[in-house]
Amino acid sequence: MKARQLHSKSQNLITWLLLSLLLCMTIMLQYQLQQREGHVQKLEQLRLLPRGEVLKPALLGYHHLGADIIWLKIIQVLGERIVGEKDYEWLYHALDVATTLDTKYIYAYDAGATVLAELAGRVDLSNQLLEKGLEPNPGSWRIPFVLGFNHFFHLGDHLRAADYMARAARVPGFPPAGPPPYVARLATRLYAQGQNPEVAIEFLEGMLQQTHEDWVRDQLERRKKRVTVERDLQTIERSVQRYIEKNGRNPLSLLDLVVNGVLTRMPIEPYGGEYRLNSKTGEVTSSTHAERMRVYRSSDAMAKKGDIE
Amino acid sequence: MIARIVSISLNTFRENLREKLLYNLLIFALLMIGSSILLSRLTLGDYHRLILDLGLASINIFGVLIAIFVGIGLVSKEIDKKTIYTIISKPVPRYAFLVGKYLGLVITLMANTVVMIIGLLVVLHVMDVPITVLLFKSLSLIFVELMVITAVALVFSTFTSSTLSAIFTLAIYVIGHLSADLKTFGEKMDTVGRGILSALYYIMPNLERFNLKGHVINHVDLSADDLLLTFAYGASYTVMLLVLASMIFQRRDFQ
Repeated sequence: MKARQLHSKSQNLITWLLLSLLLCMTIMLQYQLQQREGHVQKLEQLRLLPRGEVLKPALLGYHHLGADIIWLKIIQVLGERIVGEKDYEWLYHALDVATTLDTKYIYAYDAGATVLAELAGRVDLSNQLLEKGLEPNPGSWRIPFVLGFNHFFHLGDHLRAADYMARAARVPGFPPAGPPPYVARLATRLYAQGQNPEVAIEFLEGMLQQTHEDWVRDQLERRKKRVTVERDLQTIERSVQRYIEKNGRNPLSLLDLVVNGVLTRMPIEPYGGEYRLNSKTGEVTSSTHAERMRVYRSSDAMAKKGDIE
Repeated sequence: MIARIVSISLNTFRENLREKLLYNLLIFALLMIGSSILLSRLTLGDYHRLILDLGLASINIFGVLIAIFVGIGLVSKEIDKKTIYTIISKPVPRYAFLVGKYLGLVITLMANTVVMIIGLLVVLHVMDVPITVLLFKSLSLIFVELMVITAVALVFSTFTSSTLSAIFTLAIYVIGHLSADLKTFGEKMDTVGRGILSALYYIMPNLERFNLKGHVINHVDLSADDLLLTFAYGASYTVMLLVLASMIFQRRDFQ
């Protein structure tokens, strides 16, 4: 009897051991496979997504959940930060699928388009996505707002930017669902003085108020710093002009402008550098950025590469 | 008569409560609803949307699974176990037996749905998601959809085996969600094709009518008139299926 009991006990033990061994093995194999796939596989999944028009009926009424899941996947891939330039094509495809499954997924249009324009530099795809969202979402001010932003900063077309901003301002409702008051103000200012860097800074501040993703905020903050330099340079240039009209000669230094009362205070260079004045030519420059941003100068309204970071 | 129907339905309800499948599906549904808390931490932006969407989808899909897999056994199980003879030999009309069985499953579904809804409301409360009237409109229409699907399962259950009933009911569920596309395809065809597809569109249940999940997450309200019409559509479709099931069951010969 005892021997039989012992036998069954040892048999039990062997089964448990075998089970644990097999479990360890499957975990190890799974880990190995995981190491091989990594990032590539996540990208692959998004690249192979079928078109939204095909996927939608296949989801049998659960297409909104489908859009949520695709959005989750997009975020996971973006979070890895090793996204190559060509990979942004799939990003557009995935965003297109998500917004076809749920045409009212405003956050996906908004955040997706901002990433495409700001991080990928694909303003064409960004605008394509936003234009698609305009019709099904007449109650959203964010879509025309971001379109306006793209036209102003990336395409240098301040008149079309103003049109979009006016469209955003016309959306009925009060904040947070409706447009904040600065949208209407921006639209007016864009029509009147589209090339003024002050308008650009106001625009960027508006965008920053609405953006919560750190990676996009960083980009916007950088852009704001760059425009601030241009604004300061233009302010100083105007002061120099006034100084010359008043005294009939070039100022000797920037301090001269403040002492003379033509400049109320010396602006602080946002990159930690300083503003310099060439007393012979009267030209003002920044110690950190030799290039000027032509888009904000009335003589040359075309945006050129390098003007905008 | 009503007393008989009530006693059959309560008996069916008690019988259903013994089904292990029911509890498995219910636990899965609650896990899915709960998992939205974890998933919402992974997403960016609109996390309310994910919780509502996943919650409503879980209630819907698990409700449908319960309706189908418990519904298909309603009559065929009685036939397999030969218990049907003891009932039809009693002075109970066959339609009363069917209606009683149907109502029993509806009560079961109601109990399940209430448990899942409580789970969802707890999650919504914990995650500070506003609970709106629209959410309850959507939940009520999900329940109407379950009632229609149960009736479909009952119709098949009266003349075929459980496995075939499950396949047929699933097929009707799929077609029911694609019926709007049937009409669109039909519009691109010639007169005959258009006629056939348009007839199919009107005969098949249009289950997309009961789908308000998108309305809830995108805050698009449904008017009271539309809601009432949709309820009326669901109710009349269900009654029609029950009459059809009774007709088939009446003619069936139990040897």
